Amino acid sequence: MTNAFAAEWLKLRTVRAPYGLLVAIGLMIAFGATISWLMVQDYDTTPASEQARFASADASVVINPVIQFCVAALGALVATSDPRLTALTAVPDRKRLLAAKSALVATTSVVVGAVALALSIGASRLIMGDRPAPITPWESLGDVLPWFGAAVLSIVVTGLIGLGLGLALRSTAVAIVVVGVLLWGLPAITPMLPEPWNMDASGVMVPYLVYEVAGVVEDAPLSPVAAVAALIIYVLVTLGTGMVTLLRRDA
Amino acid sequence: MIEVRNLTKRYGDTTAVDDLSFTVQPGLVTGFLGPNGAGKSTTMRMIVGLDRPTRGEALVGGRRYDRLDQPLRHVGVLLDPGAVHHGRKALDHLRWLAASNGISQQRVVELLEQVGLGGVRNKRIRALSLGMKQRLGVAAALLGDPQILMFDEPVNGLDPEGVRWIRDLMRGLAEEGRTVFVSSHLMSEMALTADEVVIVARGQLVKQTPMEALTENGSLEDAYLELTSGRGL
Repeated sequence: MTNAFAAEWLKLRTVRAPYGLLVAIGLMIAFGATISWLMVQDYDTTPASEQARFASADASVVINPVIQFCVAALGALVATSDPRLTALTAVPDRKRLLAAKSALVATTSVVVGAVALALSIGASRLIMGDRPAPITPWESLGDVLPWFGAAVLSIVVTGLIGLGLGLALRSTAVAIVVVGVLLWGLPAITPMLPEPWNMDASGVMVPYLVYEVAGVVEDAPLSPVAAVAALIIYVLVTLGTGMVTLLRRDA
Repeated sequence: MIEVRNLTKRYGDTTAVDDLSFTVQPGLVTGFLGPNGAGKSTTMRMIVGLDRPTRGEALVGGRRYDRLDQPLRHVGVLLDPGAVHHGRKALDHLRWLAASNGISQQRVVELLEQVGLGGVRNKRIRALSLGMKQRLGVAAALLGDPQILMFDEPVNGLDPEGVRWIRDLMRGLAEEGRTVFVSSHLMSEMALTADEVVIVARGQLVKQTPMEALTENGSLEDAYLELTSGRGL
């Protein structure tokens, strides 16, 4: 397992695509910080009576979906970028190969997600300074931890979803499109469903589950524990499908 | 030694490999011959666990390939030199393969020099010629210093110097007592390289025989065409 993980890590860092995804995340952090700064400038020049109408200037909330998407694409790349013929002659034990890939995606997702979110939250904090709510959504860094933990968890989940879809569909492009549908397509459609299906369906969409896990949504369809369970089900279904495909189909 | 026992592979109604049995002995270069679609590549893929047999089994050194802990130390495989990530450097390609089987990184550098790719080791694979990719595939097969080697059409894309190099390499490996199993369409090349031949057609064994017995009354090409006449696709 150690050798297989070392090989997967070496494979990941010796091609260009992952660095492109990191650059995309870095650019989004910078873009998010710029938006925060512009909001704060606007806030400062607005009469005090109207400042209460401002939204939060925390950019991490906005860039989290982009991090999720990039990490999911990374997961799909880990599954599909190297031809199976070569990968399976080097590591013919398919369960071991899957375990190594899953461990790599989970580890990379945690590190990338935690660092990117910490940078975004830190930048937002610096820009917002000691301004009060609502432009600053939390009073101390301790208040942001539930959101931070939920967002990192969601990033790991989307990374593993990308891996599972890549293994199941055997195509980077198709896997990334399906990830896009899960992260943006379906969540845009579910609110249009008739009541009460709209709330029920929206409540199990990945982007919404992040807020439910963090416990920041009033009257949420799911409790934080149920929301974590829903995220785990996403992983089990996609990674399980990928595993069955890898184990049963010819290379 | 490679042992193929009653190996069968079906894709729906099509039988690609049909109850195929043969043994590849160490110390010899064994050629694997047959018309297009005869099941040679499918057989090789089943030997290394890439394709699941419908029936039968293939053993390398007495064990199934997918049960080997560090397979590259036992079996070297060159099936498709194009089955690589073309954006990766040649050196890095061998480095990850070495890492996957606990093989030293020093061995990678030595092998690249041995196969004549030392000067291009930091080039991305897409920039290598077909012959260079073939040499990289040979290097990958040799990485774990295995006792069993399998090459599928190894001289494709090689210039005359490269063809001579791979022929001498395979002969040398067999003389060291290793098992060398090689498929090719080039009869003249096979006649120069192989000690024994396994001929298949329509997924079935046509003949397994020493090369001398096959060519005592003519060329390998004549004997091959006579044996496989009317057995193509």
